Amino acid sequence: MELTEVRFAGSGGQGLILCARILFRALSLEGKTAARSQGYEPTSRGGFCFSDVVAGDDELDYPLATALDFLLAMDQVGVAPSRSLLKKGALVVADQRLTPQPPTGNVELYRTPLTDQAIALGNIRVANIIGLGLMCGLGGICGKESLAKAIEGETPRNFLDLNLEALEAGFAAVGELEAA
Amino acid sequence: MSGNFEHLHGNHACALAAVAAGCRFFAGYPITPSSEIAERMSKELPKVDGTFIQMEDEMGSLAAVIGASLGGVKAMTATSGPGFSLKQENLGYASLAEVPCVIVNVSRGGPSTGMPTRPAQSDIMQSRWGSHGDHPVIVITPDSVAEIYNETIRAFDLSEKFRVPVVLMFDQVIGHLQETVEVSDARKLKTIERKWAKGDKDGFEPYAATKDAVPPMARPGDGKRAHTTGLTHAESGFPTQDTEIVARNMNRLLSKLEINKKEIEKYECVETGDAEYLIVTIGISARAARRAVKTLRRKGVKAGLFRPITLWPFPEEAFRQAAAGAKAVLVPEMNAGQLVLEIERLGSDDCHVAGLNKIDGEPIVPAEIVAKLEELAR
Repeated sequence: MELTEVRFAGSGGQGLILCARILFRALSLEGKTAARSQGYEPTSRGGFCFSDVVAGDDELDYPLATALDFLLAMDQVGVAPSRSLLKKGALVVADQRLTPQPPTGNVELYRTPLTDQAIALGNIRVANIIGLGLMCGLGGICGKESLAKAIEGETPRNFLDLNLEALEAGFAAVGELEAA
Repeated sequence: MSGNFEHLHGNHACALAAVAAGCRFFAGYPITPSSEIAERMSKELPKVDGTFIQMEDEMGSLAAVIGASLGGVKAMTATSGPGFSLKQENLGYASLAEVPCVIVNVSRGGPSTGMPTRPAQSDIMQSRWGSHGDHPVIVITPDSVAEIYNETIRAFDLSEKFRVPVVLMFDQVIGHLQETVEVSDARKLKTIERKWAKGDKDGFEPYAATKDAVPPMARPGDGKRAHTTGLTHAESGFPTQDTEIVARNMNRLLSKLEINKKEIEKYECVETGDAEYLIVTIGISARAARRAVKTLRRKGVKAGLFRPITLWPFPEEAFRQAAAGAKAVLVPEMNAGQLVLEIERLGSDDCHVAGLNKIDGEPIVPAEIVAKLEELAR
């Protein structure tokens, strides 16, 4: 595996750090060496929040993202600070409703109604997991089974079924999408 | 992989390692970006019959830790910039009274309340000189989650062995980083216990000189007379301003780390053997420097990295050796120029020392180090 850099960006409280924790654990289950970093603003909710996962086969000299291969943009506030880090041809999944101006240009952009899909599943809070599933499905970052196992380890038991349903919905959406 | 591997957040690694090292008392006051240490300690300590107290403030926290340590218990507190400032008074007390304790500073942007959630490395000089008066202190600066784990254990060992406060300092990035760590089986871990006073209780002097300059401590309940004060004291522990006694005791106190420096100093050299351009840095900036060294070597620039793990006392001889063949030394740091002062002090006259500084709350990235070093090499 080439060094792969993934960012989950948006507004504090959207479950971006949780998403990255799940991916970190899933990649580790697949035998990868991973590092996860995070940043947020000093507000209890809202403000720019991100969590990055960098993974490869070897020891990671530098654990932070320098050239993103993947970006899940859950809110407009996550776009500006991430734009300059995007690698040419990076895969970007952006929530249609909350990210009206996603990064464009040299990226493979997928605009998708993650929030609406989550509401349809019964809880807006799983929009992040749908996005995680969709991005991993589109980009082949890691397998669905590893992600499901990681979700079991990282999320509360009461929400396990809903989260797994959201992951399925994310992977299922892959075929339905067309590049914007 | 053999062993017990866990996917740990830096601050959690610190808490787990403290418990593994035998820490059984934590007093703290939550502050970003260190709060996860207190949070985890509040969960872990009750499992091992330890005590967790959220105190009224940072000063009270270190005071409680000093009290616990005098009671014979390994103790720790954790904080960040503004709280670290508040702890300086009691840090000096622990230095003078020779009370083992571990103080964690997960550093963020300053001065004052600064940038609570952003990283900085601007407490480098404060960690050494923050408390008034000449005083011994050890400062350790890990650059990975695994190293936070291992160095937390070493912080307790050094503190107990040399009766000195040990500051464990890492930036917000490292504190909030998640990496895979091999954790120790606490039952198999060999940790250092404090040198307790033996022998007759009559005539016991709590601050008597010894060969290693570390006086054995009276174990609470043993019946040995001990007096603890922040006033300059004689071997008896009682205050004095007698010049001869003061000079003798202060010189012993200040010689402690120098006498034992071989055990205290720790550093890492990466490609320093033939390095013409040496990078000296700590924490997340050192992780950036690792990548930069690889990039520069590929470009034919003989770059190397000298990384003090024990920041204070600074590993002077090791640095001088690493810098022996260097044309220039670059010191990248997330402050306006602090570590660079020490390097300028230690560097030879024919070696150019340059800084690379960032104070905007963003970490220094490998490309910035590469660019600056290429500029120096031109």
